Amino acid sequence: MKFTDKKSIGYIVFITALLIYPGFADSRWLAVGSTFLIFSVVGLSEDIILGKGGMFNMGHALFFGMGAYTAAILNKFFGMPILYTTPFAIIVPAIFAILLAGPIIHLRGDYLLVSTIGLNIVFIQLVQNDLFGITGGPNGIFGLDIPQVLGIDLGSPTAVYYTGVFVLFLTFLIMTNLDRSKPGRALHYFRLDDLAAKSIGINTSAYRLFAFALGAGIAGLGGVLFAIQYSAVSPEAFNFMQSVLFFSIVLVGGSSIPGILIGTFVMFVLPEIFRDFATWRYFIFGFAMILAMVLRPEGILPAKFGKIPAYMKKE
Amino acid sequence: MDTFFQQLVNGLTIGSIFALVALGYTMVYGIMKLINFAHGDLVAMAAFVGLTIYDRFLGPDTNSFVSLILIFISTGIIIAFAGILLERIAYKPLRTAPRLSAVVSALGASLVIQNGIMLIWGPRMRFFPTDILPSTTWNIGGIHVSFIQLSILFLSVIIMAGLIFFIDKTRVGTAIRATSLDHDASKLMGINVNNIITLVFIIGTFLGAIGGLFIGLYYKGITFNMGWNYGLYAFVAAIIGGIGNIPGAMVGGLLLGVFKALIAGYVSSVWADALTFALLISILVVRPTGIMGERVAEKV
Repeated sequence: MKFTDKKSIGYIVFITALLIYPGFADSRWLAVGSTFLIFSVVGLSEDIILGKGGMFNMGHALFFGMGAYTAAILNKFFGMPILYTTPFAIIVPAIFAILLAGPIIHLRGDYLLVSTIGLNIVFIQLVQNDLFGITGGPNGIFGLDIPQVLGIDLGSPTAVYYTGVFVLFLTFLIMTNLDRSKPGRALHYFRLDDLAAKSIGINTSAYRLFAFALGAGIAGLGGVLFAIQYSAVSPEAFNFMQSVLFFSIVLVGGSSIPGILIGTFVMFVLPEIFRDFATWRYFIFGFAMILAMVLRPEGILPAKFGKIPAYMKKE
Repeated sequence: MDTFFQQLVNGLTIGSIFALVALGYTMVYGIMKLINFAHGDLVAMAAFVGLTIYDRFLGPDTNSFVSLILIFISTGIIIAFAGILLERIAYKPLRTAPRLSAVVSALGASLVIQNGIMLIWGPRMRFFPTDILPSTTWNIGGIHVSFIQLSILFLSVIIMAGLIFFIDKTRVGTAIRATSLDHDASKLMGINVNNIITLVFIIGTFLGAIGGLFIGLYYKGITFNMGWNYGLYAFVAAIIGGIGNIPGAMVGGLLLGVFKALIAGYVSSVWADALTFALLISILVVRPTGIMGERVAEKV
């Protein structure tokens, strides 16, 4: 592996910056940093479905929230240590992704988009109305346990941040391996030409569901981290607007790992920086979104040639 | 049974508002294949503009019938201008771009309009005066029908019939249908596609503005962020009917309005959103392109 080309240098600078960041940040910016890491992970998981799979998913906060709520419920009502809930918080959203996306996976672009919005809204209303008596209603669940490993508290903001860094690297690993694996190649193929992929015997529906399940599982992992960071979960954090955020992260940034990171920065960190503008913030931010798409219709850092996601091709 | 008919009347009223707003979504989608997420916020803006015109320029001294006509026309024109501006700034540069880029641009435009309303009119709820329209209510066999409900229903029917006539029978309507089928072929036939798109935005936003004013007159209270909610419902109505299909949007709007009112009457309005989207997904599972949407064969 060469470490001299532009890409590797970029990664080394980025990783170094990530690792030394807590030394410079005050508590507010450390929290922003942790949330940036979590949103990047969820943004990357949305990229598996939207960018790589070419499926218009605008309900991704559903899986993010499902992971967070699984962790919170297992911790609060079943007394399970919060770190042990992680496997469940990954598996539960993945299973639900298959069950929920299964019937609608064949829908064409915009119809899938509105169905996924619908799934997200149904989820939020179920949680808010506390249907099963375990979601805490509109207030959510708070006062979760502090994660511990070998008797060491991992609840401090710095520890949460470094856990986030670890999970982000893990996600990088999954993403790069996915591109080189059989399912990754299948996704790549049917995104470019669904009919051709089918005709040589690729089971496109199965791979579509696979992409949904994988994306949902990783989003669930992000959800656990989110629950740990705030020691609480509440419905507003996973509503439809949040799905719009993840959707925009992929499209503004472009369907590539550096693209998603830049997308998360633009869509989440920039508004935090301009927090002082208060009421003007989202007015300007909206213009920035329009400008970003007008200037870079394929995202700031789009996927390279040969990895062009389907949404970039005109119908 | 009274509850049923009462909710049917309420549902048809709100349903015709949904239908008017849904027409804006469906017409823009038909011609540009774009979900105009900013449409709902233009609808909200219409309610605020209409209220301001009433407060500033007309007031209670003017004859209410004259002032209402003036409000509808001037608000419609202002919102149609906003619609043209929206298309020029946010959508025209992206006409040849990937489809989802325009969706993100639309989401950005929605944020701009929504927060623009908040910056101009403030974040608090504003109220339409109650004396604009006579508050007469008729009691027909135990079912209450108000003057506002009747006017909304009556006007919506006239507007929709006019629109269908315009699209189906006139030359310009034919040009709109041709453009929604194929931009390039329409250009070759001498249709000015840019003008047609502008026209569709004018009609769509004008209908949306009427819907927004109806919301203000019917519910009285308006907030800067109500566009998302009404927009989403109208958009769902357009999808249920088969997006791009004009009669479909009308049917979808009425169906959704009645469905929502029946839920409020028999279940509980806290479940309205969840059950509405459950209905939407069930319809799409059975009919993947909506009730009246045509099945499009995949091009090879």
